[in-house]
Amino acid sequence: MSVSFLQQSFLWGLLGISIPIVIHLLNRRRYRTVQWAAMDFLLRAARESRGKKKLKYLIILTCRALAIAALIFAIARPLVGGFLSWGGSNIDTVILILDRSASMEQQVKNGDESKRLRAIKSVQESLQAVNNPKLILIDSASAEPQLVPSPDALAELSATSPTDTKASITSLIARAIDYIAENSLGQTEIWLASDLQNSDWAPDEGRWDAVRAGLIDLPQNTALRIIAMTSPVTDNASIKVLSASRVSNRLALEIELIRSEGNSPASIPVTYSINDNRSSETIRMDGQTYRYQKNLELGTSEGEGHGFVAIPSDANPRDNAAFFAYGEDKPAKTYFVSEGGESGKWLSLAAAPPGLGDNKCRQLSLREAGEIDWQEATLIIWQAVFPSGEIAQKLRDFMEAGGAVLIFPPRGESMDSFLGIQWGEMSYSPKGQYFIIDDWDRTDGPLRNGIEGTGIPVTKLKAIRRRGIAGDFTTLATWSDDEPFLVRCIIGDGTAIFITSLPDYTWSNLGDADVLLPVTQRLVNLGGARFSSAYSAIAGSPRAKPLGNEIRTRVDQYSESSSNNADYEAGVWKIDDRLMATNRPRTEDDWTVLDESGVKSLLEGTEFSFFTETGTSKPLVNEIWRGLIIAMLLFLITEALLCLQPGRDYHKH
Amino acid sequence: MKYDFLDPDALVRLGAMPLEARQAMTGNVAGRHRSPHRGSSVEFAEYRKYVQGDDTRRLDWKAYARSDRYYIKEFEADTNLRAYFVLDASASMAFSSGEEPRIQFARKLAATLSYLIIDQGDAAGLSICQEKIHLEIPPTRRAAQLNHIFEVLANTEPSGETGLIEALHDIAEKTSQRALIIIMSDLFCDTGELADALQHLRYRKHDIAIFHILDKQEIEFDFERPHRFIDIEDQSSLVAEPALVAEDYRSALQGFLENVKTACHDVHADYHLITTDQDYEKIIHDFLSTRLPKKGRK
Repeated sequence: MSVSFLQQSFLWGLLGISIPIVIHLLNRRRYRTVQWAAMDFLLRAARESRGKKKLKYLIILTCRALAIAALIFAIARPLVGGFLSWGGSNIDTVILILDRSASMEQQVKNGDESKRLRAIKSVQESLQAVNNPKLILIDSASAEPQLVPSPDALAELSATSPTDTKASITSLIARAIDYIAENSLGQTEIWLASDLQNSDWAPDEGRWDAVRAGLIDLPQNTALRIIAMTSPVTDNASIKVLSASRVSNRLALEIELIRSEGNSPASIPVTYSINDNRSSETIRMDGQTYRYQKNLELGTSEGEGHGFVAIPSDANPRDNAAFFAYGEDKPAKTYFVSEGGESGKWLSLAAAPPGLGDNKCRQLSLREAGEIDWQEATLIIWQAVFPSGEIAQKLRDFMEAGGAVLIFPPRGESMDSFLGIQWGEMSYSPKGQYFIIDDWDRTDGPLRNGIEGTGIPVTKLKAIRRRGIAGDFTTLATWSDDEPFLVRCIIGDGTAIFITSLPDYTWSNLGDADVLLPVTQRLVNLGGARFSSAYSAIAGSPRAKPLGNEIRTRVDQYSESSSNNADYEAGVWKIDDRLMATNRPRTEDDWTVLDESGVKSLLEGTEFSFFTETGTSKPLVNEIWRGLIIAMLLFLITEALLCLQPGRDYHKH
Repeated sequence: MKYDFLDPDALVRLGAMPLEARQAMTGNVAGRHRSPHRGSSVEFAEYRKYVQGDDTRRLDWKAYARSDRYYIKEFEADTNLRAYFVLDASASMAFSSGEEPRIQFARKLAATLSYLIIDQGDAAGLSICQEKIHLEIPPTRRAAQLNHIFEVLANTEPSGETGLIEALHDIAEKTSQRALIIIMSDLFCDTGELADALQHLRYRKHDIAIFHILDKQEIEFDFERPHRFIDIEDQSSLVAEPALVAEDYRSALQGFLENVKTACHDVHADYHLITTDQDYEKIIHDFLSTRLPKKGRK
């Protein structure tokens, strides 16, 4: 617990503690000399009084010093509460960085005040305690500094209202640093109120170095104070739609439920709403997370539509609904640039297997690659030497826009590179042996397990021939000798997957479809998501906002929305003639938080103080001068009692 | 007046009060004090049977007429009182905290009382005791004795350590006749040895009176700030914080006073604890008053 002082200059008065000590020492030095006759008694008394009397005298001296200290501290008006440490006085400006991400709506119990509101109240009380300095608010949603004329109205501002956004703490601190640099603010403090959600603080983000450097370069006495709203997440469940894809007249929703308590089985009623038609079912879940797929009939409707899934109200009302919108049915179209041969057949089949919707696959030679319809393509499979020139640029642009690319090695030599990746030497397995795969990422990438946890039989894959690969990529599966089998490279919104063998009997049994089919179909879905992504956006992102004079209206029936805060709220919106479902970022449902040591390591080398708001009604700071006055009186009374000499009456002698 | 320890007015006021011995005295001449012997005073003592050799003039013929037996009528003998003033003249007697020095107070007491004693026809002597000097003026009842005593008192300056114990033993040994021994001292000596010396005097059937003279500050010890205390007798010094030592000092002094009182009580001594800020005339008045015989007894 730290202490700060409103009248810090009075602390110089603490030098007064030395007054009784100095007087004592001076008295000892400036003794008087007297002739004395009853010396025997004096010598005896001096011998006997060395122990407890000396201690008594020391206690008296200590009481005097403490009484002075208590008086000086009381005059300096100390604030206790751990929030304001030394330097809390004479603040001219407070820059309040308010995390109003969706996770800040968590309540200690269902019906309590949210972390955001508690943070605001605490800040208001603290501001009052430091004589209401100028307040600049930087809220996490807009990240724009704004002057708050009256801190009392802080909770009523639209800039402090709840949102479905995430917060980028590094950006916010950097914004505050810039603001201090751009403006003459006097003695300034940055107060950062946040729930320390790991995803918002992004401890792995490289920007922290710049933030630390910026904080260190701040003018002297600029303090950073962190109000950590870290009361644990309880009694909460969240729902989100991982994907919504339309196949003909059905809508396939991939839904994930997460709850804070995962120890006992629970039944959660889920409401589905499509175009304002509601249905519900009860989902029983045993663990903390539950993913399932829900197919909803769209009836005869052929146009676009929207809806939401929702769970009942709990301790965080902001994560109880997920919104979606969908467009017209659009069959997947795959372009396959191939060198021909056996692999071409298997890959074409994997991209458009007979009987799976209206998927189409067009096989092209390298020379015909210019015929690819880049706007309509869902997936591009490339089994040839790397493209160059205009084709390479178009392929890259396709990826930037969210397209998916599956790349296989060419049969011949290839010295070119694409996305910084190069094919390496061809290698063959020893005679009578195969290259097999023993390690792959089961949670991420195209080889991940299915929703129900079913794995892909990757171990069935055997290869006698493969190609090396070099460059900057993420390896998702490796051969048993740790050479990469499947790697990923992400460019913009798109994904490129490289596989180092071919579905050709002279290379491997990849053509058996155990691995090839799920990988290809997952990439088709991934590539197709860019069409449906036109209908969805993250709340607060630029895509979620109307452009120019576009008019935005909320069309879902889940809840009402404030027009001032619509940019940052989840819902389904009609923006002019576009339909847009906005949702909170997925990361807001990850309730992992940093602890104090985590924050300390992020801000290592900077001056900051850390206060944990526990969710009680106690203010962040308390004035304790009354207690100190009482303490001073107690010290003086003790001193007086100790100084009282035993009663003397020499006449009785 | 020549001597600053004498106040003629006080002498006049106190002159009306006699100094009485608390026990029978054995003086050389007739006086106002009771004697252990039978004598020729008017105070009837007892009858005893006539034995051969008794003075026939002392036969009680009336008793013979009544009883036909010879009785000798005996009367009390009155004698004079011999008083020894024992004045401690060690260096500690020079102590003064602002009032007059202890020795001056003792001079006043001794001079006034010796005047009263000689004035009432009794004998007074003086014994000055210091570490190595033991000056004695034997008691006589001559008027010239007073001048002698006053001169010695005036010329006595405190110095050295006390020789009180040796002086008391010396007096007890040398003084064979009963006497009133009046001690004036701060008694800063070993209380055990003091008790022994008093017992010695008591054994010799002397009447003992003690004026225990202390300074008020020695009792109260009310110093405010640290002091360097220099022993007035041997000049050794001690720096002490009064607040630290006062309580223990007082406790030690109290114990000393209790011991002295007990030693005095054991020898039926007439003990007076006095401080130098008190009025010496009142002290003498009280001293004389308490010694007056109770009603019904001379």
